[in-house]
Amino acid sequence: MSKSQLNLPRIVLLDLWHHKWVMIVALLVMLNAVAVVYTSYEGRKYTSQWELLLQERDRLDIEWRNLLLEEQSRSEHSRVTRMATKELNMRRPLPREEVVVRVP
Amino acid sequence: MNKQAKRKQKPQLIQWRLYVVVAFVCLLFTSLIGRAAFIQIIEPEKLRRESDMRSLRTTSREVQRGLITDRNGEMLAVSVPVKAVYADPKVVHDENGFEDMRRWQALADVLHEPKDKILKRVQANPRKRFTYLKRQVSPAVADYIKKLKLPGVYLKPESRRYYPTSEISAQLVGITNIDDLGIEGIENAYDDWLTGTPSKQKVRKSRDGHVVERLDMVQEGESPNDLVLSIDQRIQQLAYREIKKATEANQATSASIVVLDVNTGEVLAMANTPSYNPNSRENLQSYRMRNRALTDAYEPGSTIKPFVVAAALEAGTIKIDDIIKTSPGRMRIGGKIVRDTRNYGDLSLSGILVHSSNVGMSKIALSMPVQELLGSYQAMGLGNYSGINLGGESSGLIHDRRRWSEFERATLSFGYGLMATPLQIARMYATLGSKGVLYPVSILKLKQKPEGTQVISAEVAQSVMEMLVGVTEKGGTARKAHIEGYPVAGKTGTARKAVAGGYGEDYVAIFAGVAPVHNPRLAIAVVVNEPKGDRYYGGDIAAPVFASVMSAALQMLNVEPISRREKVRLATLSRSAE
Repeated sequence: MSKSQLNLPRIVLLDLWHHKWVMIVALLVMLNAVAVVYTSYEGRKYTSQWELLLQERDRLDIEWRNLLLEEQSRSEHSRVTRMATKELNMRRPLPREEVVVRVP
Repeated sequence: MNKQAKRKQKPQLIQWRLYVVVAFVCLLFTSLIGRAAFIQIIEPEKLRRESDMRSLRTTSREVQRGLITDRNGEMLAVSVPVKAVYADPKVVHDENGFEDMRRWQALADVLHEPKDKILKRVQANPRKRFTYLKRQVSPAVADYIKKLKLPGVYLKPESRRYYPTSEISAQLVGITNIDDLGIEGIENAYDDWLTGTPSKQKVRKSRDGHVVERLDMVQEGESPNDLVLSIDQRIQQLAYREIKKATEANQATSASIVVLDVNTGEVLAMANTPSYNPNSRENLQSYRMRNRALTDAYEPGSTIKPFVVAAALEAGTIKIDDIIKTSPGRMRIGGKIVRDTRNYGDLSLSGILVHSSNVGMSKIALSMPVQELLGSYQAMGLGNYSGINLGGESSGLIHDRRRWSEFERATLSFGYGLMATPLQIARMYATLGSKGVLYPVSILKLKQKPEGTQVISAEVAQSVMEMLVGVTEKGGTARKAHIEGYPVAGKTGTARKAVAGGYGEDYVAIFAGVAPVHNPRLAIAVVVNEPKGDRYYGGDIAAPVFASVMSAALQMLNVEPISRREKVRLATLSRSAE
């Protein structure tokens, strides 16, 4: 092989170098495309996660409401009064038995 | 021979074949590109629609009706999501839903209903598209039904309203109907405020059902609001318990109690008997659901007397230290006779109120023009709505006419010939405690004191209140309303109930008052309607209720009692620390 023979890789590289800006732009376009795909994928993932969290919130809200009901029925005043008087032998002090503590 | 021939033959280009192949390939590509262009540019809509049909969904976010709480945040009404079970009979028939009877049996069992009844509903009309099987089933049951996988049986979200306080505040809070619409009481009056609308949104769902994209709002939802009432559930509970006891002990037809905050006009408690359980919708009776404290008006009887004195003091026709002659205990006015229970002789204004002397009252009432007396009743809120803004409120009744006979003028002064609701009576007494300022009644917790109107002067209010202290002390008509530690300014009333053509044998026993006199905080009116026992006086029936509710309520509100021995025992912190 003589030296005068064309070196193909060299030519290709030179040509690429010659059009380097086009190449960079092309590369950026490719990266951009991948980024678009990636972000929309991420976005969908987060939306789905958000939806799950909303569902969780609804579930907790329902649980909270049921717990509220339970708390209310257990701490109902007449029930507490009954338990205090019957089981614990407590009574409401008469006004004259009250001691007033003044916070200075 | 063959081999030779082959060798001879050089591969030749057959031109026309090449052209055919090239043309074919070109055609292939143009048609592909053409098709792609057609789909992309000329008719993209169809495929987009197809895709949307497979992935776009409208989701709706259910909202629960707002909570109703008392002033301290205790729940009075809570909505909990539940499910309605319904069937589409056509689908059930089309998909041979009756093949597996075991599932239907399981459904019937979990719904606590006979299987035949449920089947009948579904089988009645095979072309029907909708029938409820059961409403308001709990989420656990709903889950079970879902797993039964009955064809044509579906679940639908709805909500159920629970009232943790049950009958205690049933009439006041009211109820919703099965479709979550307020039909009584607060639920009805503030329905719009409490109700929210579900929001609807378009979303894109992935193949496995996850929402991956939220698109536009189809319907902007409105979130429901909570409601904070002025009620103090501790007092409410106590008030209800006491009137219930009184109703049963006296076999009364009904009873009502209203507790007002003197300084703001807020309702701290409002209870009635007979009551009902708002959590079970079966056998609701309308007479139990009425909030009698504001829908029913009674003749106030003697409870009106302090306000006649106040009106006369305002008008200047009597003075605070006047002595009025009531002997011989009866008085003839226009051919009719006004009587006292006995001859009290000469009485001071306080004495007239303490002994509830009709003769003395008549003299005071006749000393002033009738329009002035009626005007003063009206200024105190009689014949007017109280500002509470609840359905069915009665404004009471004051006759508006020119001509009054002398006897009618006298009866006006002891509470006949006019009607007032328990709420109005409580409000009048609250005016005495608030230095003569009449506040609009509020059932909602107020952030700041409302603007009131001065209807009687502060001095008159104070002196009338002091006159009333004797009522609950020795020699008064209502010893049973006496409270140790908290001086009470109150008045009994016992009115015969008017029937067609006169007054019948039934009574209304009333006690109303404010306490403590030195620093008024609460005004309470107790009305016991038609007691059937031997006793029917306000001082016997209503006064004990007043006393127990008032004393416990003042203790709950940390109002300092006064004691006779020493005003206050100061507990020294340093000593207890040792």
